[in-house]
Amino acid sequence: MRIEHRNNIRVAEPPATLQQQGAAATIVFVHGFGCDQTMWSYLEPLFRVRYRTVLFDLVGSGASDLSAYNFDSYASLDAYARDLRQIIKAVADGPVICISHSVSAMSTLLATLAEPRLFRAQVMLAPSPCYIDDPATGYKGGFSREDIDDLLNTMDSNYLGWAATMGPAIMGVPERPALGQDLANSFCRTDPDIARHFAQTTFLADHRADLPHNVTPALIVQCDDDFIAPLSVGSYLREMLPHSHLQVIENAGHCPHMSAPETSYRAVRTFLDGLGL
Amino acid sequence: MMRDAMPSLPGISLPHSDSLFQHAACGLLLCATDGTILKVNATFCGWLGYTAIDLLGKKKLQELLTIGGRIFHQTHWTPLMQVQGMASEVLLDMRQRQGQSVPMLFNAVRREHDGVLYDEIAVFVATDRRKYEQQLQLARSKAHALNEELALADRRKDEFLATLAHELRNPLAPMRNVLEVLKLAQLEDPNLSWARDVLGRQLCHMTHLVDDLMEVSRITRGRLELRRHSVELAPVVEAALHSVATLVAESGHRLHVEQWPSAIWLDADATRLGQMIANLLTNAAKYTPAQGAIWLTVERVLDDVLISVRDSGIGIAPEHLARVFDMFSQLEPALSRSQGGLGIGLSLVRGLAELHGGSVSAHSDGVGQGSTFTLRLPLPATPAPAPSPSAASRQLQAGSRDGKVLVIDDSADAAESLALALDILGYDMRTAYDGAAGIALAESFQPQVILLDIGLPRMNGYEVARHLRSQPYGRDVILVAVTGWGQDKDRKMASDAGFDLHLTKPVDFYELDTVLQKMLKTT
Repeated sequence: MRIEHRNNIRVAEPPATLQQQGAAATIVFVHGFGCDQTMWSYLEPLFRVRYRTVLFDLVGSGASDLSAYNFDSYASLDAYARDLRQIIKAVADGPVICISHSVSAMSTLLATLAEPRLFRAQVMLAPSPCYIDDPATGYKGGFSREDIDDLLNTMDSNYLGWAATMGPAIMGVPERPALGQDLANSFCRTDPDIARHFAQTTFLADHRADLPHNVTPALIVQCDDDFIAPLSVGSYLREMLPHSHLQVIENAGHCPHMSAPETSYRAVRTFLDGLGL
Repeated sequence: MMRDAMPSLPGISLPHSDSLFQHAACGLLLCATDGTILKVNATFCGWLGYTAIDLLGKKKLQELLTIGGRIFHQTHWTPLMQVQGMASEVLLDMRQRQGQSVPMLFNAVRREHDGVLYDEIAVFVATDRRKYEQQLQLARSKAHALNEELALADRRKDEFLATLAHELRNPLAPMRNVLEVLKLAQLEDPNLSWARDVLGRQLCHMTHLVDDLMEVSRITRGRLELRRHSVELAPVVEAALHSVATLVAESGHRLHVEQWPSAIWLDADATRLGQMIANLLTNAAKYTPAQGAIWLTVERVLDDVLISVRDSGIGIAPEHLARVFDMFSQLEPALSRSQGGLGIGLSLVRGLAELHGGSVSAHSDGVGQGSTFTLRLPLPATPAPAPSPSAASRQLQAGSRDGKVLVIDDSADAAESLALALDILGYDMRTAYDGAAGIALAESFQPQVILLDIGLPRMNGYEVARHLRSQPYGRDVILVAVTGWGQDKDRKMASDAGFDLHLTKPVDFYELDTVLQKMLKTT
């Protein structure tokens, strides 16, 4: 199966002048748990003037090929990391910059550890290496195992509502910005069994042990009011992750690239400037 | 909300719209896009045990959710509201002030008022709906579990069929050996000679049934490996015709055969190819009343060869056509049928055809109108005719073969009958019934050939073989494994254990004699 189809990859080429200079670096945007590449609609256009940008859907999300979702292999983030490496090799000739949200920041880290030569830099938006508290080490992930079970129950109980919520019907909201209808229609639509499985994989993952091995420059973007990845997680990451910078954004929730795209852009811009990218 | 002046009915006094808002049959909220509650009705406050003062400007909607709900709110609700501007029928648990949680159903629309975006939200208590959903989910997981159970039962059935076929094969081996002995004997009494022929035919029939059962259970378990070679079709068709000749003759059917004028070469497993054609012919003979007609036609159409078997038989009703290839499918209940069978013949044909990259189809104009079964097999891209093996006479002659042969088999009947048959051919024979006795006998007898059963008690055939190979007298002996299992895996294991040859029960006597002659000559 072609990767382009499996992951619904969209590539936006940079302006022609940049192409001629051959200077445009490639940025790959990796969405997290919950929705799909549509999440990047607010942030990605800001980068398009200077970079070649690549959007895609994780297998099991958005308009990816759901038949490629194997419940055994996608039970760990390694499968997503493997997919990401395949995608980078398919779309780019040289190393890329990755901007990854939420759980995908960890998948991206795993991919950089496996094949560092594919990456120039990684931006982690609202990341967390482990969502569950670990009293033995004093680590504060923000949640207990019971909280995560409660989330899985919530997802179970939305089983029937799922189709309606995530479905194609867009009723009477004429003043919404003109997102492409095709994008809006597929937004957040997914198979409930896969979504629940992905939730389990996401919230039960623990990649704290991988952090010290990092060799790829990293920007951690943390939001001061993020319910899912609290500030304590940001400081922990900064401390444990070599080659990392931490940038805290105010009042942006868990999705700063959606709620505060300009602020997010400036943070990433500063980081990339510092690296000469 | 309700900013626009609504048209009203003149002369009728109706409740004020603020009262309608406060006491609506659903909870109503107006929130900032970050979830801060800006307006809330009495119905919602009452459900959760708050006053409006507790909530307005102080609480965000998500702060009233359970933890799981809050995560869902962040990962799904918030992006959904931003991109899509609405959410409908989202079921989330809300915490009452007293700590109890209540399932509630949310509908929300994001709308602009005077340049500011607000979320307008309607909430319903969904206790009953939650119960229905739980019931549905329970039913769903039960159905899932049931499916798993059925799949397991199906696997067990397949495994049972495989064991059954294997166990049925074992007694067939000594019976066939005895029959070979009887064939070699000169029988004076015509009654005995008749009895021997009946035994021969029935044993042949039974072997076919067991072989079919074995094959079909291998196909369903995905364990059938074809031995494909370049095969000329016409001789295979002839052999299949020969194998059903008695059945056809007994029913008084007329058989019309139309072969293709030029030679057709297929990349096929010759045994299985013959099995498919014989099964179609058997099927036609069985389901055609006596004195009927059967036509067998071979033709080439584009890149395929079509082998059609048509009969003037009982035909097939249209509603049954789709099921004729299903396993155990027989169109009439067993008791009302004059013809026996396991109902696996056609299923086997379909399985084998698919393994060959072909297909089989059935056609009938209806009950009483006869049937046509068409086997379609692809022609190889580059036809490469191989020299056809000369059809040597398979008649064995009693005589004085040269060679010392030891048979080790825990079934005394199997061992003795095989030994007797080989003895008549002239071989010098000994038998043993377990590994230890076999090893002892091998040492004293110093045979040139050892026929060794694999499924021996205590020390299995592989272990015996390894031991024999480690002994001076066993280094050059010809070791032949004789088993009921004929998988490539078994052949590999036999070869690893030091066997020279692997034969599947029931042993083809002619083949065994030929192989022994050849191997004895070369050593």
